[in-house]
Amino acid sequence: MASPGSAATPPAQPAADWLRRAARQVRRPMRRVGLLTAAQTLALVGQAWLLSGILAEALLRHAPLARLWPQALALLLLAPIRFALSVGARDTAQRAAQRLSDSLRGRLLRCAQALGPQRLRAEASGDLITQLVDGIDAVQAYFARYLPQALGAVLIPVLLLLFVFPADWLSGLILLFTAPLIPLFMTFVGHAAEHASERRYGQLRRLGAAFIEALGGLVTLRLLGAADRFANRLDQESEEYRTLTMQVLRIAFLSALVLEFFAMVSIAMVAVLIGFRLLWGELHLRAGLFVLLLAPELYLPLRALGALRHTRMDALAAAQLLAALDELPAAVAPVRAARLAPATAPEIAIDRVCYVHSGRAAALRECGMVLQARRVTALVGATGAGKSTLLSLLMGFAVPESGSIRIDGVDLTLLDADDWRAHVAWVPQRAHVFEGSVRDNLLLAAPQADVTALERAAERSGLAPVLARLPRGWDTPLGERGLGLSGGELQRLALARALLRERATVWLLDEPTAHLDAASAHAVETLIRSAAASRTVLLVAHRLSAARSADWVAVMSEGRIVEQGPPSGLASTRGAYTELLQAEQT
Amino acid sequence: MKASPTPMSEPTIPQAGPAETGEKTTPSPVRRLLAVLGLHRAWLAGGAALAFLAAFAAIGLMAVSGWFIAAMALAGVGGVAINYYTPAATIRACAIARSGGRYGERVVTHEATLRALAGLRAWLFRRLIPLAPARLSALRSAELFARLRADIDALEQFYLAVLVPATVALTSVAVALVLCVITLPVAVPLLLLGVVVAGVLLPLWTRRRARRDALQSVSEAAMLRGLLLDALRGHDDLLAWGGVPAHTARIEALAQRLGGRRNRLERLQAVGAGLAGVLAQLTLLAVLVAGVAAVRSGALPPAELAMLALLTLALFEVIGPLPEALAQWHATLGAGARVFELADTPPPFVEPRASAPLPAAPAIAFQGVRLRYAEDAHWALDGIDLTLAAGARLAVVGASGAGKTSLLAALLKLYPVQAGRVLFGGQSLEALQGDALRRHIAVISQHTTLFNLSLRDNLLLAAPEAGSDRIERAVHLAQLDTFVATLPQGYATVLGEAGALVSGGEARRIAIARALLQEAPVLVLDEPTEGLDAHTVGELYAALSAAAGGRTVLLITHRLSALAKLVDEVAVMDAGRIVERVPVAEYLVRERGA
Repeated sequence: MASPGSAATPPAQPAADWLRRAARQVRRPMRRVGLLTAAQTLALVGQAWLLSGILAEALLRHAPLARLWPQALALLLLAPIRFALSVGARDTAQRAAQRLSDSLRGRLLRCAQALGPQRLRAEASGDLITQLVDGIDAVQAYFARYLPQALGAVLIPVLLLLFVFPADWLSGLILLFTAPLIPLFMTFVGHAAEHASERRYGQLRRLGAAFIEALGGLVTLRLLGAADRFANRLDQESEEYRTLTMQVLRIAFLSALVLEFFAMVSIAMVAVLIGFRLLWGELHLRAGLFVLLLAPELYLPLRALGALRHTRMDALAAAQLLAALDELPAAVAPVRAARLAPATAPEIAIDRVCYVHSGRAAALRECGMVLQARRVTALVGATGAGKSTLLSLLMGFAVPESGSIRIDGVDLTLLDADDWRAHVAWVPQRAHVFEGSVRDNLLLAAPQADVTALERAAERSGLAPVLARLPRGWDTPLGERGLGLSGGELQRLALARALLRERATVWLLDEPTAHLDAASAHAVETLIRSAAASRTVLLVAHRLSAARSADWVAVMSEGRIVEQGPPSGLASTRGAYTELLQAEQT
Repeated sequence: MKASPTPMSEPTIPQAGPAETGEKTTPSPVRRLLAVLGLHRAWLAGGAALAFLAAFAAIGLMAVSGWFIAAMALAGVGGVAINYYTPAATIRACAIARSGGRYGERVVTHEATLRALAGLRAWLFRRLIPLAPARLSALRSAELFARLRADIDALEQFYLAVLVPATVALTSVAVALVLCVITLPVAVPLLLLGVVVAGVLLPLWTRRRARRDALQSVSEAAMLRGLLLDALRGHDDLLAWGGVPAHTARIEALAQRLGGRRNRLERLQAVGAGLAGVLAQLTLLAVLVAGVAAVRSGALPPAELAMLALLTLALFEVIGPLPEALAQWHATLGAGARVFELADTPPPFVEPRASAPLPAAPAIAFQGVRLRYAEDAHWALDGIDLTLAAGARLAVVGASGAGKTSLLAALLKLYPVQAGRVLFGGQSLEALQGDALRRHIAVISQHTTLFNLSLRDNLLLAAPEAGSDRIERAVHLAQLDTFVATLPQGYATVLGEAGALVSGGEARRIAIARALLQEAPVLVLDEPTEGLDAHTVGELYAALSAAAGGRTVLLITHRLSALAKLVDEVAVMDAGRIVERVPVAEYLVRERGA
């Protein structure tokens, strides 16, 4: 089940570009971080100078404490200054990174939403979640930690060299020539590590997806007696993740080892040369100690950057996916200066609509019909005929590839989509249940609805008896995918939600009675009939009994309307409708 | 690539303490986390040894270097000869030992940690299996997901950012103190004071200060995940009801709050690290003051003062990260506590050690069964008496909410019953292991979960040992041949998350094929045609009757219509009771008349 193909691609340029573009938004705070880092380095230099002074005095001249006090006091004063500067730098970087990641999350969520419901459903949403949560976190860590460190890795060595040279030019030369070798070496080993990191990230995503699906289907797995076998699969995936992680870490540790060793050899070289010149009396102890104290500090930021490299690689891997998400074309381009939807029940004309989207979902081919105002139109046909696709076009979730949908003569694409949907009450085949109480889930349709409106909607939709059974009534928390609600209960919830939108002039109902028993279904049908007095109603049904009470029935097959007319008329002609009727009666 | 000979550690996490006797004796998460790590003792001992080696070498390196430079300078000034070979060799040895030791320590401790965590993941999943659905229904899967993955990942922190650095710091302090006692005993209390403040008190302070934000940010991160899941999965609903702006605002508000907490935590960590730096300077100064006096009085050779100064700095380099690490303590332990809380949820059933033997054609009997889902809930089953002889075919009909699904929950041993008993093949369910029982019952329900596996693997879930011919026969009987023919890679085609590429009718057929593969004597049909149009139902009927052939059939539906031919009898359910049981013909006549 592993997909080997993705691992072979090198970290793409788009990912790095994407990160660079994102970095532009934090240019100003990063500049401040640079300034604070520089100031902190100066304080460090001061401390090293004072400390070497104290030691030299004490060692060579056996100076009494009384003479060393001023320097000790200055050393003491520099400590809180360095403290304040370092806290300030980290704080600035963190805040900037947090702001950036918040705005990125918002933008990417909008990108994902712009895919439109049709495509969003096809994308694995567990995977998208991993990108939006973990991917953004990886990018956040890059800006909060890696970037400031990278800044320090350039600034600090340069600043320190400026002070080392006047103190001892020979040590300065050694440091000047060895320090750049470290970043050089880092890029050298970097490629192999980046490769491994990318594979690890891919495996992390697979592991996440495997877990979410194993949990979602745990009951099915138990019924099949396959839960233990699935656990073994997770074992394997976890194990694979661990191996990949260790691969990444080994490379990281190895490069850290080499860097450290390298730094140590350089420092030792400096120390030995200083030591002998001290022995020969060519160098003052204070200058020697000063340089020796600064030498490790020069390599420290470079090594710290090496330790953070996985942060950059994680961010790059995440950026690659985020950049791809960023560039996905929007399904429905929002119309500016759009017209408002009609205030009374409109006539809806569907004119030779084609929609042949990707995937295995049903397509529409030259689909045409008219939904008359204040009438119930039933749309029937086999699963996969395209009924739900048509409904989602009517909702404005996607735009016809050719042909048009006209609302009282105005093309739907010219209407303000939000305003149009505000006029529609919609009952989907399977409503999404949001985390929150039953009340929260209903209020989605009408945030300002009061208790009486809620009670009324619950009464009319048949939700009231369900509520009475729930342990905490209206306040019962509903789980993801409506855990705890049966199909019928979910349907009543969706219906109640629709009823709350009292000013809706259009009702679009996708199999509203599918999960209901005969008595409840009958009540709903009566409700729909009475609603039609002032509304345009489209009822998608697979049961013809629901269609029989409609004013007009259209039969859909393979994306076309193959037959339409009043139900009594259709029943007498030998066509698709009578075929369906027979299928139902056998 | 898989070098490890034993990839899966035995997934048993010691309970450390008397299990199930009472809540008060539940061991703390820290002890249990240590117990988890204890399984990889050998790795840990190696890691600790290497850590000690590295720490010893690091301190030695700094101390000898300081002494060496000072001694060289003093020799230069005094014009005396000096043996620089021994210290130079020591410095080189220390440098090598330090680099090598640190590399080894990192590899080994990470290996141990990751091994422990990989085992923990699968262990936790196995603990969850018997809890579904009875004990897990209150948890959203997003929450579960967050717990399983993010929490376990967060536990990495406990080992790598707290446990390992603390061990290293402790050994380093010991080494440094010994050196200090030898050279300048006066400075020992000073050094010790600095170490205790920076390495113990300061970390404890950051730990306490971080507590609320750390705990909250873990739960808020899980909430954010849930909200994002809602935003994506429920996008059409949000669009339809104009709820996108409000939901987005909720996400933004939560992200804002979470961001604020993370900012505060980062700031606290920066303060902790900064204060450790300040303390390093103060301790250094104190040691210097004591040392300068000692040098003057002749108690301390001058070169050793330089050694002590650099020793102090080296020591604080090891202690420095502790305050920062301890700020994460509560987030980590919060994650650990949640993992163990979930794992410790008692399963709804205590399974018998051995399952009672079952006849080839078991009969089913409900005797006065009452079931409810919570103490304060209504009775979903309110005194069910129902028998189903082997080979009988019965439909249970009733309005939604009448308790039909609960009947299955009791039969399949997914939920415990509060009164009465269910007999399967003459055995009480208590005498049967759930898995053994369910092997005898094939279920086709309205919600078929398809996994992101190939079609073949999806089918094999029901019967892992089935060969190609058995699969193909089942597929043929379930009338999936044409579907398989349209798939780009046939049986090897991966079906996508939640079977996104499969229509409702096709999913139902896959479920039927699974049920056929299972070869169980009892077939349970739970609204098998729900959500399908009349045409598809008609087509499905043949597949269903193939699945039903020769088996005991229990059909649950709110509308019998097209499926009437699958059964001989109808039981009507209302408000958790069976109100009547009639032959199917009689039932249909009455329905038509009504």
